[in-house]
Amino acid sequence: MPESPLDQELGQLLAYHHEPESSDFVANVMHDVQRERLLRRVILWAFGLVGAAFGLFGAVMLSDSITRLFSFSFSLPPMETMQVALAVVAAAALYTWFMNDDLSLSS
Amino acid sequence: MVSDSELVVRVTGSNDQVAFQQLVERHQAAIRGFLRRLAAGDTGTADDLAQDTFLMAYRKLHTFKSSGSLLSWLHTIAYRQFLQHIRKHARQQVMAEPPEQSHDPRQSMDSEILAERLMGFVSTEERACLTLAYSAGMSHPEIGQVTGFPLGTVKSHIQRGKQKLQRWLKDHDHSISKDKEAHRA
Repeated sequence: MPESPLDQELGQLLAYHHEPESSDFVANVMHDVQRERLLRRVILWAFGLVGAAFGLFGAVMLSDSITRLFSFSFSLPPMETMQVALAVVAAAALYTWFMNDDLSLSS
Repeated sequence: MVSDSELVVRVTGSNDQVAFQQLVERHQAAIRGFLRRLAAGDTGTADDLAQDTFLMAYRKLHTFKSSGSLLSWLHTIAYRQFLQHIRKHARQQVMAEPPEQSHDPRQSMDSEILAERLMGFVSTEERACLTLAYSAGMSHPEIGQVTGFPLGTVKSHIQRGKQKLQRWLKDHDHSISKDKEAHRA
């Protein structure tokens, strides 16, 4: 907003006179961005694997109870079976919504 | 030309790398120029900070509100990166030393280097406000948004910075036009 002669002079003096060369800079930034994405993916996979390992371990520990649960489910009448199935689908949908940001990384 | 907001939507919506690259290409000159002035000509540090600025922008792009200007938002990140840098390196001499009063930077430099070195005569806050006002062409309220200073503080930083530079110009009995003519001759 130069107005006075001093403002005009400063405007002239402080204007950006040269445009810095962009190609190397942009390449470096994009390299950093890709490294960042890779790191996020590795962290996601690492924690996912840890979670899966603990899940598997828990499942093995509870295998008897799980077998009993499944045999109980299969013996449920159709209405209750449908409710259980809906609950599982709802839980999966909630998980997908919650993890949406991280899942999109794999695309 | 695709607008900034459209590119931002593409980056945040589908992680579009090409869209982000376009944003970097579009705004890198302004951000690097701003940081070079803040660093008073230390181009290596300025470019490193500019790189960090764009990486931070990539991480935080989902928090950008499309009602504002992307360039102002990038300037805000750049200014914070710079402040963080000088805090971290407070004990080291990372900034260009302020030129000696007797030294006339006009004698041996082109306009860009001269402008960067002149920034050594003013404080960090004055440097930021002067650069945003005179180089980036921002209004005082916009400068306030970028720097986080109240409007009155922005005005007083600009005023004080102007006075210092004016004093320097008077002391050296130069005007830019004269200087350019002398340089050409």
